[in-house]
Amino acid sequence: MNPKKIEPFFYIGPALITLFIILVYPLGYSFWLSFHNWTLITFREGVDFVALKNYYNVISNIDFIHSLLVTFLFMFAAILFEFIFGMGIALLLNLEFKGRNFFRTVILLPMMVTNVVIGLTWRLLLNYEYGLVNKLIKFLGFNAIPWLSKTALAMSSVIIVDIWNTSSFVALLLLAGLQTLSKDLYESAKIDGSSKFQSFMYITLPLLKSSILVALLWRIIDTFRIFDVPYLLTAGGPSRATEMISLYVYRYGFQNFNLSYASASSYLMVIIMLIFSAFLFRIFRKDY
Amino acid sequence: MGNKMNKIVKTAILYFVLIAISIISIFPLLYLFTISIKPSELIFSTTSKFFFTPTFQNYQDIFANGRFIKYLSNSIIVGVTTVIIATILGMFAAYGFARFKFRSNRLLRMASLIPQIIPPITIIVPLFTLFASMRLMDTQRALIISYLTFTMPLSIWLMTGFFEDVPIELEESAMIDGCRRLMVFIRIDLPIVVPGIAATMILSFIYSWNEFLYAVILTGRSARTLPVMITSFMTNKAILWGRIGAAGSLIILPILFFTLFSQKYVIKGLTAGSVKG
Repeated sequence: MNPKKIEPFFYIGPALITLFIILVYPLGYSFWLSFHNWTLITFREGVDFVALKNYYNVISNIDFIHSLLVTFLFMFAAILFEFIFGMGIALLLNLEFKGRNFFRTVILLPMMVTNVVIGLTWRLLLNYEYGLVNKLIKFLGFNAIPWLSKTALAMSSVIIVDIWNTSSFVALLLLAGLQTLSKDLYESAKIDGSSKFQSFMYITLPLLKSSILVALLWRIIDTFRIFDVPYLLTAGGPSRATEMISLYVYRYGFQNFNLSYASASSYLMVIIMLIFSAFLFRIFRKDY
Repeated sequence: MGNKMNKIVKTAILYFVLIAISIISIFPLLYLFTISIKPSELIFSTTSKFFFTPTFQNYQDIFANGRFIKYLSNSIIVGVTTVIIATILGMFAAYGFARFKFRSNRLLRMASLIPQIIPPITIIVPLFTLFASMRLMDTQRALIISYLTFTMPLSIWLMTGFFEDVPIELEESAMIDGCRRLMVFIRIDLPIVVPGIAATMILSFIYSWNEFLYAVILTGRSARTLPVMITSFMTNKAILWGRIGAAGSLIILPILFFTLFSQKYVIKGLTAGSVKG
């Protein structure tokens, strides 16, 4: 072989081989598992090939469908508000004023902080009896709100915490996009008599398209896999109202120890995610 | 005159909004710290008390049996080892992707991103059975291996962008002078990319430090990391909020430190990976 051709693999090879060993092989194994029957009680007697039975069981399981719907609901609501707030924050931070770096850093903190700690802190903040939020509400003369113990409210709480947690991430990505836009465009639009709102709608938004898509892709990937915050905030409850898909797989795989069932359901997650990403990448491609 | 007033009002509104957002952002973190120094009977009271004598009892409690130190060292060892391996392997791979034209370049680059798309819960099911059969459960090694599944793709992705930013002319002139490729990489490219490498390392460390799902499944008493340890203060009988406050404050301390003092790098890392898309 031509040494010129081998050279790149001298650099890329070690990383790819490592990734292959720690990822491709395990994923292949769980793919195999998903067509077999592996439970903690029976695996010593042998692991039977069951074809698509696990997949069939997952899809026909009402809890799985429920988790999927819960996750999509969460995904939609959280991302919607994160983009509204994120865009607002990005536009603010794109202005020129003193202390811009300082504010940018402070606003960024929630997304850097350990999710486990966030989940626990908000669990206390939203506690019905002694949480600070309800104390404040009672102080203002209203009734305390059962944030974490009523179905719809628990879902809203998970969404609110996620908005608090990651709006700044969306803001950061949009801000990076905003900073690449040239000021001249706005100047000439102003001369042509367009209002600030018009320049935002017809100049900023279209030019930010790629930043918006990237932020959207990351948020879809991240909300779809969310685990830490709901696990600690609500533990998927009350009565599975906030049992996101990762929590569902966790319950089957590591509390009931049905690993083949967990493999099948997690592969369905991968398929859904790949469809999503392929779809978003297509939109990307169309423009660039 | 009216114009000037207008400007002052606008600035005032801007700062008011910014300060409001900042308070919302940091308030829960300050609250967590307050909990850690509050006498425990006050946490469960239904009325609020703004003034109290701070106590460090909770900090003493979590340090008392030496377990906090043990799990802290687990977190540090796992984080640092993961970052070192991911950065070194990722650095070479990133350089390879950025500088060589070969047929499968784009395809392999995309393939190295796939782990970012796959949910961790999917990866952990097989890792769990593999580690169990290799008797690696509850070891630091198992955690390091699992953390490489997300830090390596991150490192490759970020650093490829940074190496692409290095003007290729610099390399070409060094090559003409007779330097070999590896020397060019070490002498020319690396020094220029140092800020990018720092950004990558800080971000990878923060992600490892914060990780919970792999740690809670793969570790027991001996290899446990801090995020798992803090959940052990939720017992069947009661939730020990004071200790959660103390441990939580200590866990986020390095994160605050990194974010505040190396914000340039953190932001560079966070945006570089995405804007280039």
